[in-house]
Amino acid sequence: MAQTAAARVKINTLGDSAAIDAAFPGHTFTEKDFQLKDNAGDIKIDSNFASQSFWKDVRIRFFRKKSAVFGLVMIVLIVILAVVGPGMNDYTYSGQTLSQKNMAPRVPVIENLGILDGDETMSTSTGSKVVNVYQEKGLDDVYYWFGSDNFGRDIWTRTWEGARVSLIIAVAAAVIDMVIGMSYGLISGYFGGKVDMVMQRFLEVANGIPRLVICTLLLLVLKPGILTIVFALMLTEWVGMSRIARAEMLKLKEQEFVLASRTLGAGSFFIIFREVLPNIIGPIITQVMFSIPTAIFTEAFLSFVGLGIPVPQCSLGSLINESYNSITTHSFQIIPPIVVMVLLMLSFNLVADGLREALDPKMKSM
Amino acid sequence: MKKYTLKRILTSLFTLLAILLVLFILMKLMPGSPFNDEKLSEEMRAALYAKYGLDQPIVVQFFKYVGGMLRGDLGVSYNISKNTPISQLIQTRLPISIRIGGMAVTLGAVVGLILGIVAALKRDTVWDTCATIISVIGVSVPSYVFALGLSYFFGFKLKWFPMLFSAKAITQSSVLPSISLSMFTMASIARFTRSEMLEVLDSDYMLLAESKGISGASLIFRHALRNALIPIITVLAPLIVDLMTGSLVVEKIFAIPGVGSLLVNAIQSNDYNVVISLSFIYSAMYIGIMLVVDILYGIIDPRIRLAKEGN
Amino acid sequence: MKNAKSLLAFGMATAMALAATGCGGSASSASSAAESTSSASQATEAESASAGSGTLNIMLETPVESLDPQLATDGTSFEVIADYTDGLMQMDADGAAVPACAESYEVSEDGTTYTFHIREDAVWSNGDPVTANDFVFAWQRAVDPANASEYSYMLSDIGQIVNAAEIIAGEKDVSELGVTAVDDKTLEVQLNVPVSYFLSLMYFPTYYPVNQAFFESCGDTFATSPETTLSNGAFVLTSYEPAATAFELVKNEDYYDADKVQLAGLNYQVIQDSQQALMSYQNGDLDTTLLNGEQVDQVKDDPEFTSVGAGYLWYISPNIKEVPELANLNLRLAMTFALDRDSICNDVLKDGCAPTYTAVPPEFAAGPDGSDFSADQTMFADACAYDPDKALEYYEAAKTELSQDTFTFDMVVDADDAPQKVAQVVKEQLETTLPGMTINLTIEPKKQRVEDMQNGNFQLGLTRWGPDYADPMTYLGMWVTDNSNNYGVWSNADYDAIIAECTTGDLCTDPEGRWSALYDAEKIVMDEAVIFPLYTQCNAEMVSSAVSGIEFHPVALNRVYKNAVKAG
Repeated sequence: MAQTAAARVKINTLGDSAAIDAAFPGHTFTEKDFQLKDNAGDIKIDSNFASQSFWKDVRIRFFRKKSAVFGLVMIVLIVILAVVGPGMNDYTYSGQTLSQKNMAPRVPVIENLGILDGDETMSTSTGSKVVNVYQEKGLDDVYYWFGSDNFGRDIWTRTWEGARVSLIIAVAAAVIDMVIGMSYGLISGYFGGKVDMVMQRFLEVANGIPRLVICTLLLLVLKPGILTIVFALMLTEWVGMSRIARAEMLKLKEQEFVLASRTLGAGSFFIIFREVLPNIIGPIITQVMFSIPTAIFTEAFLSFVGLGIPVPQCSLGSLINESYNSITTHSFQIIPPIVVMVLLMLSFNLVADGLREALDPKMKSM
Repeated sequence: MKKYTLKRILTSLFTLLAILLVLFILMKLMPGSPFNDEKLSEEMRAALYAKYGLDQPIVVQFFKYVGGMLRGDLGVSYNISKNTPISQLIQTRLPISIRIGGMAVTLGAVVGLILGIVAALKRDTVWDTCATIISVIGVSVPSYVFALGLSYFFGFKLKWFPMLFSAKAITQSSVLPSISLSMFTMASIARFTRSEMLEVLDSDYMLLAESKGISGASLIFRHALRNALIPIITVLAPLIVDLMTGSLVVEKIFAIPGVGSLLVNAIQSNDYNVVISLSFIYSAMYIGIMLVVDILYGIIDPRIRLAKEGN
Repeated sequence: MKNAKSLLAFGMATAMALAATGCGGSASSASSAAESTSSASQATEAESASAGSGTLNIMLETPVESLDPQLATDGTSFEVIADYTDGLMQMDADGAAVPACAESYEVSEDGTTYTFHIREDAVWSNGDPVTANDFVFAWQRAVDPANASEYSYMLSDIGQIVNAAEIIAGEKDVSELGVTAVDDKTLEVQLNVPVSYFLSLMYFPTYYPVNQAFFESCGDTFATSPETTLSNGAFVLTSYEPAATAFELVKNEDYYDADKVQLAGLNYQVIQDSQQALMSYQNGDLDTTLLNGEQVDQVKDDPEFTSVGAGYLWYISPNIKEVPELANLNLRLAMTFALDRDSICNDVLKDGCAPTYTAVPPEFAAGPDGSDFSADQTMFADACAYDPDKALEYYEAAKTELSQDTFTFDMVVDADDAPQKVAQVVKEQLETTLPGMTINLTIEPKKQRVEDMQNGNFQLGLTRWGPDYADPMTYLGMWVTDNSNNYGVWSNADYDAIIAECTTGDLCTDPEGRWSALYDAEKIVMDEAVIFPLYTQCNAEMVSSAVSGIEFHPVALNRVYKNAVKAG
C-alpha cells in the first residue's frame, strides 16, 4: 500500500528530482526499475461488457433467472395450446351434446392406469357414490380429456378457446393501455405546471369513479364482445401506466441529455418520445407485463357480474364462473380453467419480475 | 407547506364536484330506466318519472341533488329498497363494509409485509419461491372460488367459523370474509414489498449501515423497511379504498349486508341515486386518501416538500 | 238468489286456484308428497292446536324491496308482508280464497257490488281495531298518482274497481274510488263489471289494509323498521332494516287466529349464493333453501327435495312487426317446432320445471269444472310441439316464400343464470335443426332487456310472465292489439273481439262460455305462433323433514307459513 502511495507521489511530482529523492531516500533508480513486467499471461482480459448492447445484456440477465425462464416457457406453451388446443379433437367450443353432459375426464391410455378413466365421485345428500357415465351409457369410444360441462360441451376445447380469448383481451388491453397511459404520463410530466395540473385532475376524476360503473356502462351502451371488453379495460387500466411514465419523466427531464437536446433545438415531442422514452422503456415493459394479469382478472370479474364475454363464447373468467355453480357437484369442471388461469398469471408475474430485474441497472450487481 | 396543503384540499374539492357531474352524466347515458318491469305500462312509468323528478332536465336534477347533498339528503332508492333514504342505507351498511374491509387491510398488509420481507431476505431460496407462489395464487384465484373454499373447509367441514355473516356474532362471522378479501391485498403487498426491499437492501446506505456494524432486526426494520415503506403506502392506499367500499363477491357469498353488493345491484337495476351516492362515497374516500398520502409524503420526505414549496 | 251468486263466485275462485300447488313434469312425485304432508298436518293441527314449536329458518334469494304493501312488487316482499298482514281474504293450502279479516261477504246480484264484514276481533299490534277505513285508506293509496304505485293496475285493469283507472290517470280525486266504509266494520266495493276472480284478489298484498293514523305518525319512514310496521297477521316483525340480509318475526299473540299458529317465529336469511345456501342447509342453519339446477343432481334422491311451481311462463317473443322474416308465419312455426322443450327442462334446468306447449301455462288456473285450463299440453300439437321434420317442412316453405336461404337473428336475454342457460340451448337447437339459421345472443341486465323489448328494439326476446291472478286472462290479455306487453306487436281482430267479450262483455257472467272462448283465443295465438312458449318455471327447494305445512303457491304469495309446523 505504502509503495503505491509513494508511486503516486512520484508521478505527481515527476521532473522534480529533489522530491523524488526525498520520497525514496537511499534508493537509486536503475534502468531495470522502468522495464515492463513480463506478466502478460497473468492478466486476464476482462470480457468487455461495455461493448455489448443494452438489450443483449438484458437478455443474458433475464435468461440467467430460472423462474423467469420457467414463466416464459409456460406462456409460450399456453399460447401454443390456445392456438392449436381447440383443434386437437373433433369437438367445437359451442357444440352441445346434451346426452353427454357432466362427464368426468377420460383420456385414452391414461385411463388404464386407473386415473382419468371417467370415474367421478358424486357426493349426494344421501351419501357419496362413484359413477362412470361412460360405462352407464355405453360410450366406449367417447373421450372428453378434461370432461364435459353441463351442456355436454368439451371442456378441453373450451378451456383453450377461453385461454385464447383471455389472452387476446389481456394483451390487446395491455398494449393499448401502454400507448395511451405512457403518452399521457410522459406529456403530463414533461410539460409540468398548468398542463400537468389539469391533466392530473382529469386523471383523478377518471380514477375516482369506481371502475365497475364505467365498465358496466360501456358494456351496456356498446354491443358486448371482445372489442367492447378491451375498450372497457383500456379506459380503466391506463391510469397506472400513466403514473409510472409521469414519475419517470419527472426524474429524467432535468437531466443533462434532455437539456442538451433542447439546446440543440429539439421540439418537445421529439424530446419526449425520442430522447426520454428509450430511457424508461424498462419500467414500462415491466408494467405491461403486470397489467396483463390484471386485465385477465378484471375480465373474469366482469364475467362474474354477468357482463363478460357473451355466451356461448367463453374466456377463462367466464368458464370459472360457469363451472363455479357446479363446484360442489362436478368439481372437475372448474379445475382446468383455474389451473390455466393460475399458471398464466404466475408466468406473467415471473416474467415481469425477471424483466424488471433484467432491465433495472440498479440491480445489475446481482 | 400550509399553502400547499390548502391548495391541495381546494383542488380535491373541485375534483369531487367534477366527479359528481360526470357521474350524473354517466347515469343519463345508462340505457334502460329504474322502472322497467314487464308489468309496468307506459303511463305508469311516466307517473314514476314525475314522482321522482326524473322528467326534469339533467341540469335541474344535478343542482337539486347537490343542494340536497349539502343538507345531507342523498335522495331515495327507486327499486333496490323502495323509497328508503339512501343516507339510511349507507348508515347501516357502510360501517359493516368498513369493518370487514379494515380487518382485511390489516391482515393483508401485515401478512403481505412479512412474506415480502422474508422473500427479499432469503432471496432466490425456497422461501422466496414459496412466498412468490403464495402471492401469485393470491392474485390469480378469483376471490369467489377462494371464499367458497374457505367456507367449505372452515365453515362446513370443520365448523370453526360461521359460514354466514351474522349481526349477533360480528367478530367470528367476519373472519372468513376478511381472509378471503385480504388475499389480493396480501399478494400485492408481498410482491411489492419484496421488490422494494431488494432495492433498498442493495443501496449504498444499507451498505454503510451494515459496515457501521448495525445488524439483525434493527438493520431490517429501522433502515430497510422504513425506506421501503413509502412506496408501499402508495400502493396500499387505493387498495384500502377498494376494500373499505365493499366487495360484491365476498358480500354475496357470506351474505354480508355491505355496500359492495348494493352498488352492483343498483347498477344493474338502474337505481340512479344509489349508484351516484355510493360511487361518490367511493370517490370521496379515494381522493381523501390520496390527499392524505400526498400531504404525508411532504411531511415524511423533505425532498418532496422542498420541491413543492419551490413551486 | 243473492246467496247463490256469491256461492258461485266463491266456488269459481276456489276451483280456479285448485291444483295450483305442486309442479308438473319430473318432480311431480316429490311435490305431491309434500302436498299430502301439508294437508295432513293441517288436519291434525286444527284439532290439536298445541303449544308453539320452533322457529323456522328460511332462506331468501333476494332481499325485500319494500314492506309497504301498496309499493311492493316482488314475490319476496309479498311473502314477508303477508306473514304479518292479513287482507280481507287469505289463501288456503290449495290457493283458494278463504275469509281472513272479513268474516263474511255478500255479492250483489249483478256481481258488481261486494260487501265485506270485518271481524270484530281483528286488531293491529298497537291495539287499534282493524276497520273498513284501513282498507279504504290503503286502496286509495294504491291508486293515488302521487304514490305512483306500480301495482295500481291490480285495482283498475284487473280489479275493475269503479273510478280506479280515472284516478290513476289523474282525472278524478282519490276520494271518488269505488270503495266506501259503510261503518267501522263494513266495507263496500263497487266494480265496473263483474270480476269472476275478485275474491282471490283480496289476498294480493296491494289490497292489504294500512292503519291511517299509524301511517301518518311514521311519515316517510313507514315500513322501514319494526317500529314503523303494524301487524294484524300471524307474526310480528321484530328486526328489520331496508334491504336487510337477515331479519326476524315472532308469533303475534294478539292475532285472532293465534291458536292455530304453531311456529314461535320466522328467521329470514338472504343468501345469494346457492352453494353456500345448501351448505348452510346441510349444516342445519336453514330449514328451507333454494337450489340451482346443478345441485339437483346432488339431492334428487333426497326425500327433503321438492320442486314447487313458480308460475312464470318463459317464452320467446318474435318481433313480428319490425322484422320482415319473422312476419312470415311458416318461419315462426318452423322455429317453434324446432324447440325441444323437454330437453331444456330435463337436461339443462333440471329444477323440475314443466315443458310448456300452450300460451297459458299449466297448473295455475282451473275452470268451472275444476280442471286445469292447460292440463292437456298436446292440445295445440299441430301448432306447437317438438318435431324436427315438421320444422324443416315449414322452414323450406318459409325459405321459398321469403326467397332467402340463411337467417340471422339476435335474441335478447337477461344476464341471469337460468335465462343464459336456456338461451344457449335454444340457439343450439334452432341452429342444428334449421340449417342456415344463426342466432346471436345479446346478454343484457333485465331492466335493459325489458326496455329494449318495450321499445321494439329486438328481433327475438327471451322473456317471462308471472300470473297476477288465477285466470287465463292474465296471459291471454297480453296479446290484444296495443297491449304494452305485446312486444312483437301482433294484431288480430278476431282475437281482440274474443278477449273483449270475455273481459267486459256478456261472457263475464257465463263461466262455461267464457272458458271455451278463452280456448278459442289461445288457439289463435298458438296457430299464429305469436310466442314460442318454452317452460313453466319451478323452484327446486329443500324443505327439512322436521318441517311440514308450508304452503307453496305459484300466484301472489309464493310461500305461506301460517300453518307450518316444525318438530323438535
